[in-house]
Parts: sequence; structure tokens; C-alpha cells
Amino acid sequence: MDPDLTRRLAAIVGPRHVLTGIECSPYVLEGRTPEAVAFPATKEEVAALLVLAGEDGLPVTPWGGGTRMSVGVTPARPGLVLSLKRLDRLLEHEPGDLTATAEAGLTLGAFQEALGRRGQWLSLDPPNARQGTLGGILASNASGPRRHLYGTMRDLLIGLTMVLADGSVVRGGGKVVKNVAGYDLPKLAIGSFGTLGVLVEATFKLRPRPDTDRLVLARFERVKDAGAAARALMTSDLLPSALDLVDPEALRALDPGGREGAALLIGLDGLSEQVEWQCAELPRILGAGASVATRVLDGAERDALWQAAGALPRAAFAEVTAVMKWGVLPSQVAEMVESGGDVARRHGLTAAFSAHAGMGIVTAILGGGVLGSGGGGAVAATAVASALGDWRALVHAAGGHAMLEWAPLAVKERVPVWDPPGAPHRIMARLKAELDPRGILNPGRFVGGI
Amino acid sequence: MPPLTDARKQTLRREMEALLGKGAVLSDPEELLVYESDGLTLFRALADFVVFPQSAEDVSALVKLAQREEMPFVARGAGTGLSGGCLPAEGGLVISLMRMNRVLEVDYANQLAVVEPGLVNLHLSWAVGPQGFYYAPDPSSQQACTIGGNIANNSGGPHTLKYGVTTNHVLGLEVVLPDGEVIWIGGKTRDPQGYDLTGLFVGSEGTFGIATKIIVRIMKKPPAVKTVLAVFDVVDQASAAVSAIIGRGLVPAAMEMIDQLTIGAVEDAFGCGYPRDAAAALLIEVDGLAAGMDEQAERISQACREAGAREVRVARDAAERDLLWKGRKSAFGAYGHISPAYMVMDGVIPRTKLPYVLGRVNEIAAAHGLRVGNVFHAGDGNLHPNLLYDPREPGAEARVVAAGGEILKVCAEVGGSISGEHGIGLEKADYMPLIFSEADLDCMRRLRHAFNPTGLCNPGKIFPSRKACGEAGIAYRPHPIEEKGLAQRF
Repeated sequence: MDPDLTRRLAAIVGPRHVLTGIECSPYVLEGRTPEAVAFPATKEEVAALLVLAGEDGLPVTPWGGGTRMSVGVTPARPGLVLSLKRLDRLLEHEPGDLTATAEAGLTLGAFQEALGRRGQWLSLDPPNARQGTLGGILASNASGPRRHLYGTMRDLLIGLTMVLADGSVVRGGGKVVKNVAGYDLPKLAIGSFGTLGVLVEATFKLRPRPDTDRLVLARFERVKDAGAAARALMTSDLLPSALDLVDPEALRALDPGGREGAALLIGLDGLSEQVEWQCAELPRILGAGASVATRVLDGAERDALWQAAGALPRAAFAEVTAVMKWGVLPSQVAEMVESGGDVARRHGLTAAFSAHAGMGIVTAILGGGVLGSGGGGAVAATAVASALGDWRALVHAAGGHAMLEWAPLAVKERVPVWDPPGAPHRIMARLKAELDPRGILNPGRFVGGI
Repeated sequence: MPPLTDARKQTLRREMEALLGKGAVLSDPEELLVYESDGLTLFRALADFVVFPQSAEDVSALVKLAQREEMPFVARGAGTGLSGGCLPAEGGLVISLMRMNRVLEVDYANQLAVVEPGLVNLHLSWAVGPQGFYYAPDPSSQQACTIGGNIANNSGGPHTLKYGVTTNHVLGLEVVLPDGEVIWIGGKTRDPQGYDLTGLFVGSEGTFGIATKIIVRIMKKPPAVKTVLAVFDVVDQASAAVSAIIGRGLVPAAMEMIDQLTIGAVEDAFGCGYPRDAAAALLIEVDGLAAGMDEQAERISQACREAGAREVRVARDAAERDLLWKGRKSAFGAYGHISPAYMVMDGVIPRTKLPYVLGRVNEIAAAHGLRVGNVFHAGDGNLHPNLLYDPREPGAEARVVAAGGEILKVCAEVGGSISGEHGIGLEKADYMPLIFSEADLDCMRRLRHAFNPTGLCNPGKIFPSRKACGEAGIAYRPHPIEEKGLAQRF
């Protein structure tokens, strides 16, 4: 560690807000230790840190709650970790406008709590809301089951302030719910994984909290039946807020007491009359023959099941060996889940699947060997890598896309995190070069080596 | 670009005709006149050519030719835009997409459609209507405007309050980049990897390239709908009702406000049943499940009454609902009955600032000796003050332009925006500094440079020119298609 760097960082954020040496250990990524961690308290300090990094050619790794740091290509050199933890204020919430502005380091959990006190919420429910920050959720475009009705960050973010690599503080969008002035910088930032700028402030569209909110767990004998029921639900008059499908392995992790079979997790919210009517209609739509059991959950039970569903990528198996995210057509979900399971079995591995069935987003989770821990050691990275390669081929053949969301380094070295970027890469690389010409922001983490 | 010699023009014309066929290239000044403006008819500019491609390959070849000739080019749909966005501001080539107007594919199971850019917005809803689906964004010009034009402007409409604007309904695009390369961005599946180029492209006002295929979401028609008319004696009460409804946890599909001057004009012209003596009326629509519909209507009625409404009426049937909507949608035609000309403004403010800003709008208009009619999307704070004037009166236009600028300034001051759905185009380019800093604009210039390095793709739009801010702004006269009753303004 360069003592001069420490001194210069301290001059910007104060000596108490710089970590070096062993203090950086909570910020080690796949064994790669950053040179320093800085905790700016204002966007001006963020700007000053980026100018310093630019002068030194020091890579910068923006860091929110740290829940999605393993997504993307592991950085060759984390350089300066820029933690947004101290930028955590709720700046403005006007219930009559249904909008709120907050700093990027605020956790989604704290944000929701503050909004909830006034009867509103940000209609997004990604996993790990307690630790995940608004900036991190934006940068990684995280979402949850309720995207079925309420959409993702691209439907909720209306304004954004970010600091570019040269230290300029720029704003796009605004504070009003409808706005077409200027280019849509907020859209560009969503899902950009910190490669274009450091997100520091964001304004969101909010919704009133529903009067009633239920979760219906509908079990089916086979994945195929659950898929057919999901499609029937989509063409019905019902308006579920969530429509998740889980395969038998995932269901076992969610509901250990239950029997075999697949399930749909159906969210229904709104006025109580709307919810009651939909609960009553459900059995008819799901098909009396296919649905072997239906349970309606409310309150803590409901929250616990949603939370468990969000935690599946970590908890589906005692030993999770890799997690992939697929994007396919909604009508392909059940079939892809079944074929994906076959692929895993052919490689002697277990697999579990959960999907936002109406959106075609599948989380494919690879476990250990089929024979359990009998092998006496970790599953070979080569076996995992080759199963992942086959999964990707399967998804591509169906016209979809696949991203390796998590895997140990040994696997990541063998399987690309991202799909080949294709023709749009040229424009993406130019956008990156325009906004971060020296390539200091999360170099190499993103699609196509950006 | 130096003006083209006649000989050069002939050569280029022949080259483009060889490419597109006869009848697909216009270059006679008289034929070009039709394309000299959009819905904002005070800006006029003549192109050298107007061309009608039929495929992405055609568009690509035209764009490459334009680059080779260093000739500016701009895409054009139905020409119903309201900010001069599709004008050939610096001569050159107008690429009309009107012959690319097919619905290429509808996938009901996955609730999406693939269409060409020249398809008229409403025609998509017609195409999927028999299966119980529709395309949600509903700009009031939807009988004429094209989906491609909607992409350029990220168009809105009354029902965007609940369902979002164009960008929330576009999944992917085939685009011809400004250098002629044809690429797909986004696609049929969600969360495509890489930067959200689709999100960036929508609303870029034709400066990032030309969309040649568009994948949109189609939605199931809501099973039930209810329309409520609330009548107020004081404008502030109507504004308060807007916030009160939202405060009660309701998200109506649409929430439109119509003021007294506009009601008078509408009743004179069409007789839709709005009370003439009301200071303002709110037209509120809820849709969705049949269950709970009565309760929603009741909550809305209550909120309106508590805010001071003297009358709250729920439309009994489809006929009454249509009549109420006709009043709202024909407001602009109605202005024509009471004023020779008017300029429509498009600003956005936080909903809670409605009483203050509407007051300021009236003060500003009065100070300039102008009448103003307000009919707008109150639910999302998207104002449309219409400044009425007589263009034959000396100085009237200048007063309208000055008042318009002051209104936009008020929108900016209360934390709003200078455009909610009409776009910046030529009209508002010089007002951009009201809401964006030099650094913000510079960042946007860099984005444009990434797509459009030569700047030949729709030059002169969005970014402020060097002239002083106060000189900007343009007044409105009816567009020919509007006079014929083919389109509404918004």
C-alpha cells in the first residue's frame, strides 16, 4: 500500500473513512484485495475520489451493500473500493406526488420502512432488501417476483444523479413521473454494473401500499402442469402481482414438510374485495385436476415464504455450486426447466429452478453430485463448468440468454459470465469510452470485456 | 452542407430511384412542401429529398448514401409531432417510414407484437383487439401517429398514468445506426445483457438512428372500467382532489382536468354535458378487475366531495362514458371555435404544486393580455396550457412566445420538466438549460456522439443553440390533418 495514496484519500474523506491493509479484508473479491476502501459522505467527495483515481490510473470498484459483488467478471485488480455506505439519506418524500428521492447508499429495507410509514412503497422486491442498497439494486438491475405486475427498475426510476469518471456530476430524468426532456440517462445506468459512473442519488415513482396482500401456494404434480396453469392464469381476467414457478427440488427447499411436486407462488394484492374475488377464482383457472393443493398465506407466513423464495440461490442445496440466470419466453419456462434438469442429471449433478414465469426469467441453481456428499469432496469444477456450458447452449438454442450469476472462481475461469455480446457491442463499447475514457470504473466486469 | 447543384440532385435522385423504385423519391419543391413541417406548423424547412423505403436494407442504403454525401437525414412518421423533431432542419434527406406499416407478428401467449415503424398506433390495437388485447400507450393523435414516431418521442397519453409511457412497453428494436449498420437491440426476452440500449433509444428523438422493427408488449383489455366526472366551483379544489385521490391509495387509469374556458368551448362546439358554470372538471377513469370497482369509484367520489366537488357523477353506460371522453378529446378542435390560433404548452410539475402553478399560469397569461385554456393530464402533473391569440394582431405571437417561456420557467422552478410528452425537438432546445446543467448536457452530447459521431442523423435538435434562451419558442397553428379532424393534439 502506497502511504501517499492513503494520505490523499484521507485528505478527501477524512482519515477515519479510509481503510487500508488488513482492514480491507471484508472487501476482498475472490481472493483479490483492494488497495484501499474509501467512504465518501457527499457526491463532491465521490467526484474528488474519482479524479484522484483517474490521475493514478487506479481501478475503482463502487460498492453498495455488497450483496451482488460476485456478479460479473471478477476484477483483475479491485483498486479503490468506493463504498456508498455513508450516502444513505432519504432526501425527499412527498406522498401527494408519489415520488421519493434518496441517496444511493440507502438500503432498500430502510427506504421501504420510511415510505411505509406514510402508506407507500417502492414496488420492487429483490432478494436481500435489508442489505442491498438502492444504488446496487439499480446498477445490477435486481428485481423480484412482483415485477410480474409492477415492472423493474426501468419502470420505477425517474431521475438519477451520477458521478462520471472525470468527476463531473450529471443528472438525467427529473423528479416528475412523466418527462421526456433529454436522453434517458437513468435507463442507461440501470444494469450498467458501475461501469459508466458512480450512482449517487435517485428519484423513484412510488405506489400506495395495497390494503390486502396474499400469497397463494398452489402445488402441482409436475412442472409441466404448473407451467400450463401459469399460462392459463396469464390469459385469465385475474391480475396477479407475482407469478413464480418452482420445480420439485426448489419446492423441497421452500417447504420441507410438503409432498413432491412443483408449485406456483401467486401474489395477489389490492383492495380486499379484489383479492378475495381472485382467491375464489383461482382454483377454477388453475385446473381442478392439476392443482393438488392450494394454500393462501398472509402476514408473517407470506413474508417468510417470499423471503425463502428469494434466498433459493443460496439455500436450495447444502452445497450450491453455481447459479445461472436465463431469459426465455414465458411460454418456454416449464419446458426449459425440465430440460435443464435433464442436463444437470446427465452431468451427475442436482439442480433446482425458480422462475418469474410470466416474465420468462429463470434462476437455475446447480447443486452437488446426485449421490450426495458420498464423493468425499467438492464437485469438480470441470463437471460444473461443463453442465453450465450445456445449459447455456440449451437456452441459446431456444433464443434466450444466459448469465452466470454466481460460481466459484475455478468455475468462472472455465465458463464465461456473459453471453457473447453480438452486434450491439460496438455501441456499448463506444458509450463506455465516451463516459469513462480511461476505463477506471469496474474495468472488465461487464459484458464483452467492458 | 453546401447547397446541391441541380445536376448533382438529378444524379442522387436517380441513384435513390434505382434503389427504391420510381415513385419512392420526391424532389420537386411542390411535393416537398407537404413535408416542410410537423404538428408545430410555425417551423418550416424544406428537404432536398423525401424518400420512402420499404425495408431495413433500404433504410441502411439511404443512410450510407447520406453519409457518403455528408447530407443530413431525418426519419419521419405521420408528422404529428409537436416540437419540430422530424423537420429537415438543415436540408438533406427526409426518410419517411410510412410504407413500412405492417404488423409482422403477434404472439398472444407471450403478449408481444413485432411491428414496423410506420404502423399507426391505433391500428395495432385494432389488429390485436379481436383477441382481447390492446397496445396501452394512447397519445391523443393515435389515429394518425405511428409507433416509430412514438419511439422517437417516448409518447404518452391520458392512460399512461397507470400503464406507463412508450418506453415501458418496448422490448426491443431493430435499428439502422447512423452509419448504416442494421442491429437488434433488446429482444423478445426480458433483461437482455449489456446496457439498456432500447431504453436509451426510446425518446432519443431520432438522433441515435432509425428503428425499422419494433417489439412491443400488448396487454389484455381490462375486464371492467368506470368513469367519474367531478365538478368544482374552484380550480384549487380540483387540484386538491387529485392529490387526495392519490393519497387514498388509488391509482386511476387516467385523471384529466378541464378548466372553465375549455368547458365553454367544448360545450359550444359539441355539447358533451359538462356544466358551463364549473370552474374545473376532473375526468377520472379506473379500470381493472370488476371486483372492487364500485368501491374504487366510491373512494374517488368521496375524495372529490371532501375536496369540495359540487357534483360527482359516475357514467352509467358506455355511451355516457364516450361522451365525456369526447369532451376531453375534442377540446383542441373546440378552441378553434373561439380563437383563430393557439399555442399548446407541454410542461410537467409535481402533482402537489398544481394549485400554485395553475395560478401562476393564469397570472402570466393575463399579464401578457392572453386567454388561456387548460386541459391536461392532472394525474401525472402534465400541464397543457393553451394560449389563445389572434396571429393577425401585431405583436400577439411575440407575447405568446414570451408567456410560454415564462410558464416553462415556472415548471422548472417547482422541480418539474419542460416536456412531458411532446419532446424537445427544435421548439424547446433553447430551454434545456432551465433544467439541465452544462455538465448534464455535455454528458448527453457524449451519448449522442457514441451513436451519431458525424452528427448527420437529425441535426439541430434537443441541444441548445448559442442564441439567448429568451428568443426561443414558437407559436401554433392547426396542422392540416388536424383541421380535417384526423388527429387530436394529445
